[in-house]
Amino acid sequence: MLDKMRNRCFLFPFLTLFGGVALATSAMASESEPALPLKPAPLVQIGGFAITNSMLVTWFVAAAIIIFAQVATRNIRAIPTGIQNFWEWLVESLYNFLEGIIGRELVSKTFWFFATIFIFILFVNWFGLIPGVGTIGWGHTDPASGVFHIDRPLLRGGNADLNMTTAMAAVFFVLWFVWAIQAQGVGGFLKHLFAPKGETSGILKILMLFIFFAVGWLEVISILFRPIALSFRLFGNIYAGESMLETLSSMMPALAWLIPIPFYFLEVLVGFVQALVFMLLTAVFTLLIAQHGPGPEGEHT
Amino acid sequence: MSVMILAASESLADTVRQTADTFGWTPQMFFSQVVSFVIMALLLRRFAYKPILAVLEERRRAIEEGQLNAEKIKKELAEAEKRYQEIVAKANADAQKMIDEARESAAHLSERKQQEAIAAAEQIIAKAREAAAIEHDRTMESLKRELGRLVVQTTAKVTEKVLTPEDQRRLQEEAARQLAG
Repeated sequence: MLDKMRNRCFLFPFLTLFGGVALATSAMASESEPALPLKPAPLVQIGGFAITNSMLVTWFVAAAIIIFAQVATRNIRAIPTGIQNFWEWLVESLYNFLEGIIGRELVSKTFWFFATIFIFILFVNWFGLIPGVGTIGWGHTDPASGVFHIDRPLLRGGNADLNMTTAMAAVFFVLWFVWAIQAQGVGGFLKHLFAPKGETSGILKILMLFIFFAVGWLEVISILFRPIALSFRLFGNIYAGESMLETLSSMMPALAWLIPIPFYFLEVLVGFVQALVFMLLTAVFTLLIAQHGPGPEGEHT
Repeated sequence: MSVMILAASESLADTVRQTADTFGWTPQMFFSQVVSFVIMALLLRRFAYKPILAVLEERRRAIEEGQLNAEKIKKELAEAEKRYQEIVAKANADAQKMIDEARESAAHLSERKQQEAIAAAEQIIAKAREAAAIEHDRTMESLKRELGRLVVQTTAKVTEKVLTPEDQRRLQEEAARQLAG
């Protein structure tokens, strides 16, 4: 049962990844010009590094969050009002929510990261829905239809850029490893991966040693695929949403302002759900590796 | 075998390269985003969460202290209530004792006063009786003398002779005896 679950966990990211690639490739093949380019557009090139339109959005959102938090906490009062009240509500609710999942000790250490993940992803997702993001920029007029196509938008949804989602997943992966080593130590970490679980004796114990050693390698592969699954899940959902909105907007130019409206509400929900999913998965992955003692969940990573 | 592994790894590398190219993933942009995200996360940690978490921690501590104080006050109130009940009970007992003593004392006093009143009344009665007896005796004596004189006078008139002192004394004694009898 355990092996089956592990294999499923192992296969799922593979299938997601290659399925996604296949679909994207076929879409690219069938459509000469997708509604929204898969690649972010570089705006400024500084040496080897480029400042892209999606990076610009992440900076806008980060700056807005920091300014908002600073304004909210400028004159902290014991009885909060206004934006201090809202910011406190948001942070405290998140803190209590995460504390309920990963425990008091772990949340005090990791809250800053999970809160950043949730708040940042949420507002980047919602920022991407603001009219003008993806539709203002440099482009060309199609001589056949006479419609203006944006080739290089000034702004692009931050999470509709795979570089951004993989960056967040990679940072989490590094932190996950650091927190795991802090909690378990190197020996405990390796034992968590490869040591047999449960009480066995005799030949069965030797057999279990081999089995769990092999399963441990599957676990390692599964862990290595987590950042890929996390980043592609977020990217896929947000990119698909933005593509859908753009396609719907260009279907009937006369009703371009009306048709996408119901889907905007859907995308507001998707933006929230994806932020929550990313935060919950990263929190649960951290809990599973950092919790002490052989708990029932700890054996099913 | 090694050729197969090499071919598979080359195929995997090609797939990864093709995927990265399809989605516009480049190491430069990836590292730019990593740096951007790390800086932003650290800034948020320092400027967005730290002040609010400090406030929340302070408030949590204040609430805990308040709860502890409330518990302490509750305990002290219960003790004060207990002491108050004990004092009230003691005061009630003392008051009851004083009332009982007062009742007892009043009963004693009343009894004594009653006895004194009875004694005084008896004394008054006795004195009155004595006075009445003396008055009676005095009246009787006077009456005897008057009666004796009237008898002597009447006898002298009736008999038209002068009575001797011996006769007068005898008649007076006879009249007094008749009166006493």
